[in-house]
Amino acid sequence: MSTLRHALGLAAKDLRQEWRAPHALTLTVMTGVLMVVVLALGLGPTGAAHAGGAGAILWTAFLFAGALCFEKTMSAEREDDALSALLLAPIDRSAIFFGKFLSNLVLVIALVLVVTPVGVVLLRLDISGVWAEFSAVAALSVIGFSAAGTLFAGLLGGSRRGSGVLALALLALSLPLVLVSTQLIDRIVARAPASGPGVPVLVAFDAVFLVAGWLAFEPGLESRGAT
Amino acid sequence: MNGLRPSIVMAYWALTLVLFGVAIGAATFYAPTEQTMGDIQRIFYLHLPAALCMFAACGVVFLASIGYVWQRSDRWDNLAHGAAWVVVVFCSIVLATGMIWARYAWGHWWTWSPRLTFSLILWVLFAVYLALRPTLEPLSRRALISALYGIVAFLDVPLVYLSVKLLPDIHPASVELDPAMRVTLVLWCLPMAMLCAGLIFHRSRRYARARATDESDQPVPPLGRQMHA
Repeated sequence: MSTLRHALGLAAKDLRQEWRAPHALTLTVMTGVLMVVVLALGLGPTGAAHAGGAGAILWTAFLFAGALCFEKTMSAEREDDALSALLLAPIDRSAIFFGKFLSNLVLVIALVLVVTPVGVVLLRLDISGVWAEFSAVAALSVIGFSAAGTLFAGLLGGSRRGSGVLALALLALSLPLVLVSTQLIDRIVARAPASGPGVPVLVAFDAVFLVAGWLAFEPGLESRGAT
Repeated sequence: MNGLRPSIVMAYWALTLVLFGVAIGAATFYAPTEQTMGDIQRIFYLHLPAALCMFAACGVVFLASIGYVWQRSDRWDNLAHGAAWVVVVFCSIVLATGMIWARYAWGHWWTWSPRLTFSLILWVLFAVYLALRPTLEPLSRRALISALYGIVAFLDVPLVYLSVKLLPDIHPASVELDPAMRVTLVLWCLPMAMLCAGLIFHRSRRYARARATDESDQPVPPLGRQMHA
């Protein structure tokens, strides 16, 4: 219970900070919106009206904006050596991972809540009547994405040398998540019957990265040392 | 290969070369021409063994990465690094031969069939492993982060396998081979396996030599020990 309490406390601290000075949120949301706009522009009036591929456009926006978000939230811990202080605090180290995960999850959910309506309008995405299915797929997807992003932001991000490589690692490891999520979104939008291992794969992805984050976050952070 | 006499190494590679010669001869003259695809089907004898060796090398990356996280010995990191390089090489062979097959079988260089997509994602996962490494310092941190990435990437492999099942499949589900084709396939598997193992050891040894001469290796103790020093 104390781990959960500490994790919630850390998440609340990050979100309070973000509320006062929403640098990460602004950057994330604006990048997501811009990506959808650019891709919709690139497709042109005829292409943007096509429902197929809407999942891919949305996910492209989520991936790149999300990677920026994770990089930004981790780099904030470098300021004034806040990360060292956090590691020395008398709390279970896994609370640090889960706290960062929860705050990142909230920011990514905010990203999805803003970018999806933009996608609905520009791409003429019709999700009326299938809101529940769409939301369920989106929720499962962002949980796994946030877990993977938090883990690798802790391992790679927030340092000068690690800058840019977070996106590289995150995009590669998130490919199965992207593949399943885009296929499911396209089927939901097309009102096609669901088939195949889609939802179980999303659940498995979430489980793998939550457990991997719980186990690997601490040794990865400790290796940062003076970097 | 580590610390082995040069004569043994030379004999190993000579034997591998001879076995490749036998395999190429079998694929060209012994194996019959496949009825549906014709001569292009012979690329299968390179494609399947390369895929099997690729999976084996993925397993080596996984086990060596676990070994490094557990024991923090540089040997494990060198082995994982060498095996990851071999994964990318063999995956490139699988992709290239798969694309040639797709071009002649279905008229396109690329189809989003589950198997080709799976190979592509695998290639990306391990190419990123190789791209990440030079960006991380010191070497001890590079080894640990690479090991953690290697473990997570391997755990991603079954997820990739399941996720590509959502894609429409035009790849044949199973391949019927007559006895001569099976013999040819086995004759290809042996030299490919020797090439895979030999390359893993060769690269591991090369990375060990590079590590020994690298002056940038300033090991950083874990944070807790720093504060208590």
